[in-house]
Amino acid sequence: MADPTTPATTNDPHGIRKDVDSPGQLFVVFATVLGLALVNVFLSQSIGPTKFTLPLQLAIGSVQAGLVGYYFMHLRQGDKVVILTALSSLFWMGILFVLFMGDYMTRHLVVSQ
Amino acid sequence: MSIAVPHGTPALATTSPVPPEPAPAPVNYLNVSHTIWSWLFTVDHKRIGLLYLGSISVFFIIGGIFAALVRMNLMSPNGAILTEDAYNRAFTAHGVMMLFFFLIPAVPGVMGNFFIPLMIGAKDLAFPKLNLASWYVFMIGAAFSGWAVLVGGIDTGWTLYPPYSSRSSQSNILPGVMGVFISGFSSIMTGLNIMVTIHKMRAPGMTWGRLPLFVWSLYGTSLIQLLATPVVAVTLLLLMVEKAAGIGIFDPTIGGDPILFQHMFWFYSHPAVYIMILPGMGVVSEILTCFSRKNIFGYHAVAWSSMGIAVVGFLLWAHHMFVAGISFYAALLFSLLSMLVAVPSAIKVFNWTATLYRGSITFHAPMILALGFLVLFVVGGLTGLFLATLGTDIHLHDTYFVVAHFHFVMVGGMVIAYMAGLHFWWPKMTGRMYSDWWSRVAAIIMIVGFFLTFVPQFIMGYHGAPRRYPNYPQEFQIYNVLSTAGSSVLGLGYLLPGIYLPLSLFFGKKATANPWSATGLEWITPSPPTVHNFDATPVVVCGPYEYAIGVDQMGRGLPEPPGPGGSDGPTGPSGPMKKETEVVG
Ligand code: HEM
Ligand SMILES: [Cu+2]
Repeated sequence: MADPTTPATTNDPHGIRKDVDSPGQLFVVFATVLGLALVNVFLSQSIGPTKFTLPLQLAIGSVQAGLVGYYFMHLRQGDKVVILTALSSLFWMGILFVLFMGDYMTRHLVVSQ
Repeated sequence: MSIAVPHGTPALATTSPVPPEPAPAPVNYLNVSHTIWSWLFTVDHKRIGLLYLGSISVFFIIGGIFAALVRMNLMSPNGAILTEDAYNRAFTAHGVMMLFFFLIPAVPGVMGNFFIPLMIGAKDLAFPKLNLASWYVFMIGAAFSGWAVLVGGIDTGWTLYPPYSSRSSQSNILPGVMGVFISGFSSIMTGLNIMVTIHKMRAPGMTWGRLPLFVWSLYGTSLIQLLATPVVAVTLLLLMVEKAAGIGIFDPTIGGDPILFQHMFWFYSHPAVYIMILPGMGVVSEILTCFSRKNIFGYHAVAWSSMGIAVVGFLLWAHHMFVAGISFYAALLFSLLSMLVAVPSAIKVFNWTATLYRGSITFHAPMILALGFLVLFVVGGLTGLFLATLGTDIHLHDTYFVVAHFHFVMVGGMVIAYMAGLHFWWPKMTGRMYSDWWSRVAAIIMIVGFFLTFVPQFIMGYHGAPRRYPNYPQEFQIYNVLSTAGSSVLGLGYLLPGIYLPLSLFFGKKATANPWSATGLEWITPSPPTVHNFDATPVVVCGPYEYAIGVDQMGRGLPEPPGPGGSDGPTGPSGPMKKETEVVG
C-alpha cells in the first residue's frame, strides 16, 4: 500500500487516491448493475414465478449488491475495519432473515394437542 | 497490620493538589455571538445541543397535552371529554410525539451532542455540519408530523399497523409517516457522528478502558441507531407505497402480509426501546458514582453490558407479536431470547447498587432522580419479563399492564434519567445553579406522581382492562380516576423544572467549574465552556471515576464536594465527605 517514505503531507495522506477507479471502470460496473436489473425484470415478466426464478433473481440481486458494495462503496480499497463493518452488517441482515424465516417456515407446523 | 497513622493527622491519600478554579472565561460559547443566525447556522456541538433541547422541550409539552386529554377522557366510563374518534387521534399523537420526537432524540441529541466531545477531550464532534444537518432534518420531520396532527391527526396508534393504516384509515397517515421517516435520518446522522467521534477524537490517554460510562452507553445507542433505523425507514416507505400506489405489500386483500409489517416494524422498534433507555443508563452511571463518592463498581461489566444490550436487543422483537399469528415455535424461541436481555440489564442494576453500598451519599436533585430511575427501571424491567413469558402474555397482551410496563421503563426510566442528566449538567451548560430546594422537591414530586399514575394501571391491566379503548366497564373507574389524579401530580413535577430552570438563568448563583466535584473531563472546562472547549488538549492519566483517591481524569485533585443537607445547596458549606479518602488507621 502506501509507500512509507512518502511524507505525510501529500494531498493523499492515506494512500487511497492512487487506486481510485477510473470513470470508465465505474461506468462498466454501473452498466452491469443496470443490465442485471433488466435481466431480473425480464425474468419476472416473461417467465414468471417458477421454482427456479425466485432463487435466480435473488442471486442476481446479491451480485448487484455485491458490485455496488465492492466498487461504489469502496470496499475494494477498504482497510480491515471497513471490511469488518461490512461483514457485520451482513451478519445483522442474517439475524433479520433467519429469525423472519424461523417464523414463516414453521407456521404450518401445528402443535399436537 | 495497621498502618501507623495517628488519628487526627490529615489524610494521606489526597496526593494531588486541588487545581485553582479556572477564571470564568469572558468569552464562552453562549456569549460569543448573539444574532439569531449565529444560532441557526452554528456548527458548535454545544449550541446544537441547546437547539435540540429547545425543540424537544416543545414536543414534550405537546405530547404532554395529548396525554392529559387521554387521561381526562378516561375519568368516566363513557369518555368524559372526547369523541371516540378524537380519542384515537389523541393517544396516537401522544405516542408519536413522545417516542419519535422526544425520547429518541432526547439524551443523544441534547446531552450526547453537548457532552461527548467534552467528556473525551475533543473540540467538537467529528462532523459538525452533519450535526447541524441532523437538527434540520429532525425539524423537517417534526414539521410533517406536526402538520399531520394539526390537520386532524392520525388514528392508528403509534405502531401504524396495516391493513388499517394503509387501507381503511381516513386520517392523515401519509404526512405523519413521512415525518417519522424523515426524522429517522436525523437519528442515523447523530448516531454516526457520535460513533465516529468516539473512535477518532479521544484525547491522548483516553483509552477505551477510561471512557466514561455515558460515552459507552451512547456508543451502544449509536450502534442501534445505525443498524435498526434503516429498517424502519424501509418499512415506512413500503407502507406509504402501499397506501399511495395500492401495491400489495402488507394488505392481504391485495396480496400482502400484515405480519410482515409487524416483523419489520418491531425489528426496529424493539431495539429502539434500547435507543431510549441506554443513554439514560449512561446518565445514571455518571450520577450514582459522583453522589456516592465511590468508584463505580464493575466498570467493565457496566460498559460491556451496554454493548450486550445493543446486540441482544436485536434478537427479541417478536415478543410483541405473540398473539398476532406467528408460528408457535417462533413464539417459543422469541420468548426464550427475550429472557436473555434481562441479563445485561440486571448486571447494570447490581453494579449500581454495589456502587451505592457504603458510599457517602448526598441527595441532591440529580441523585434523587437517579435513585428513582433505579427503582422504577427495576419494576419496568421485571414486568417486561412477565410479558415476555409466552403464557402470561396471552393474558396480558394489549392490556393496561403493557401500558404500565412501558411507561415504567420509558417515563420512570428514561424521562427521569433525562431530568437527572439535565439537573446534573445544567450548571455546566448554562453556568448557573438552579434552586437546590425546589429541585429536590420537584424530583420527589416526579417520582411520587409517577407511582400514583402508573401503579393503578398494572392492577387494572392485570384484571383485563384493554388498552386504547375510550370506554370501559364501571369496575375500572376507580383505577382510572386514581391514575388521572396521579398524573396531575406528575404534571406538577414536570412543571416545576420548567419554571426554576429558566429562572436560574437570570437569578441563579454562578456555577463553579466543578460544582459536584465530579471526575470527568467536562468539569475541567469553565462553566459555561469556552467555544473550543479546552485551551490545551487535555492529557488523560486516570480512569473515569477515581473518587476513592479523589482525582479527576487528569490526575488533579477534586474541589470540596457539595454538602449533604441544608437549603444553601451545592455552593454552601460542605459536610464530612472525606470518608473514602481517609486512611483508617
Ligand atoms: C427487561 C427488558 C424488557 C423486556 C423483557 C420487555 C418485554 C416486553 C414485552 C414482551 C412487551 C410486549 C407486551 C405485549 O404487547 O403484550 C413489551 C412491550 C413494550 N415495551 Fe418492553 N421489555 C423490556 C424493556 C423495555 C424497555 C427498556 C423499554 C423502553 C425504554 C420498553 C418499552 C416497551 C414498549 C414501548 C412496549 C409496548 C409497545 C406497544 O405495543 O405499543 N421495554 N415489552
Ligand atoms: Cu420489546
